[in-house]
Amino acid sequence: MEHSLFSKPKELFIDVVNPRDYIQIDSVSHMYQNLKASVQKPLKMILLYGRPGTGKSMLLHKLHHDLSKHQKVFMIDIPIIDENDFLRVLAQKIYGYVNREAITLTTFLELASAVNYPQTPIVLLDEAQLYSTALMEKIRLISDARALKFVITLHKTDDEDIIAKEHFQTRIWESIELQNASPEELKIYIQKKLLKSNCFDVANMINDKNIKIISRLTKGNYRDANKLMFSLFSLYAWFEEHHPSKINYNSLKPKYIEMAAIHTGLIHA
Amino acid sequence: MLNIPSLERRWLKYKIKSYFPYILFSLLTVILIIVTTIFIHLEKSNKQTSPILVKQKAKDIILQPKDISPEIILEPSMQFIETMTSTVSQSTTPSVSIPVFPPKKVVIVQKIAPISPPAKISTNVITPPSLITPAIKSTTQPSSIKRDTATFDIHEIEDRFKNNSNPHLGLYIARYHYDHGNYNEAYNYALKTNSINNTIEESWLIFAKAMVKLGKIDQAKKTLQLYISQSNSDAARNLLDSFEKDVPK
Repeated sequence: MEHSLFSKPKELFIDVVNPRDYIQIDSVSHMYQNLKASVQKPLKMILLYGRPGTGKSMLLHKLHHDLSKHQKVFMIDIPIIDENDFLRVLAQKIYGYVNREAITLTTFLELASAVNYPQTPIVLLDEAQLYSTALMEKIRLISDARALKFVITLHKTDDEDIIAKEHFQTRIWESIELQNASPEELKIYIQKKLLKSNCFDVANMINDKNIKIISRLTKGNYRDANKLMFSLFSLYAWFEEHHPSKINYNSLKPKYIEMAAIHTGLIHA
Repeated sequence: MLNIPSLERRWLKYKIKSYFPYILFSLLTVILIIVTTIFIHLEKSNKQTSPILVKQKAKDIILQPKDISPEIILEPSMQFIETMTSTVSQSTTPSVSIPVFPPKKVVIVQKIAPISPPAKISTNVITPPSLITPAIKSTTQPSSIKRDTATFDIHEIEDRFKNNSNPHLGLYIARYHYDHGNYNEAYNYALKTNSINNTIEESWLIFAKAMVKLGKIDQAKKTLQLYISQSNSDAARNLLDSFEKDVPK
């Protein structure tokens, strides 16, 4: 299994958000440049939203990775639901204020005014839709006081339009929407990812027909695409070990793509 | 861990499921086309038959007065026959009557009448009196024509006799041959007639007379005696008496 042609590609598509694995796609790259530009502006809040799997978290991680070299940036990728904990963690991470007891908003703002940074510190909040309205109000007050600058990501779903909520409508100065990947973008994403790790043979196996199937199954969702490709290459690795004659090294078999989709739950069979 | 056989089974199930609507749609389309075709075909056939029926009905309606009119028209044809019969009765020359009335009937009447009265009755039944009269009146001028047609007819009658074994036909043929001096043939046909029906008196008489002509006088006498014993026929007795005198009729 270790020497399998498909074992390395399989590892590439493990669904882990790592800024080093960031793949530059034209549209996403453009969005990222916009985001970076917005961060430099004297804005209080920046909203990054889109459907699940459009790469919001990856962009946020990439932004964190890039900005942390130059200024104070703190990222909360797992939401801190409790209000006291939230302020306490922020005070500790940004201002170095260590206190086991809960701190009030007033205390926090006093700390912020006491510490003078050349650039306003940036807080990146992933999955902001999970925060309560009260906490969001506190976040708004902190950003209004220019103590911190927030970049938050939101899931936009068909069921609930979170952006329509009042605290987002009135306070957000910049919002960037991320779209699902088109088949071409998905092809670039998958092939770039493979080529980046020198998996040339496997990258050459992926043709337009395969991409169409993958795109149809994943609906341009990068996370689903990662899961599907992981399952697909696992499946290929199995066939390579047990029935190598069944593998066509010129292209991916649509049957195997669909089997992988069944395994990942993209097809309910 | 991947369970490939299970995945393959699920994939197959998925493919069948995904193609099912298309298969169903195709089947329904095919059925719809077939049903439509049949319906159109039936409708066409109905359209084709219905005008005919209408036409036929129309014809029936139109023909009704036409059917009546021939009945009226037929009257002149009857008149034609009447005129024909009147012309035949008025004409003195028999040349007109000969082609119209078969000569064989004439021959039968002329020849049989003196020998056997029952034969006369049978011919009277078949032929109307108006038809016989001109024949009786006719002279011997067209006799050759009569024989030719009779010769032709006798073969036809012989064939018919072979086919249906009618004793009356047998008697007629035997009589014909005897009259024409073909005594062997007369003997044979009389014998055949007697074997079919042994109650015909004239057949026995012709049979006996033919035997006498063939020189079998004793045999003829014995036959007649046997017949007389069974039928008590006066004609047979007279014939036997004539044989006793050695004068065959």
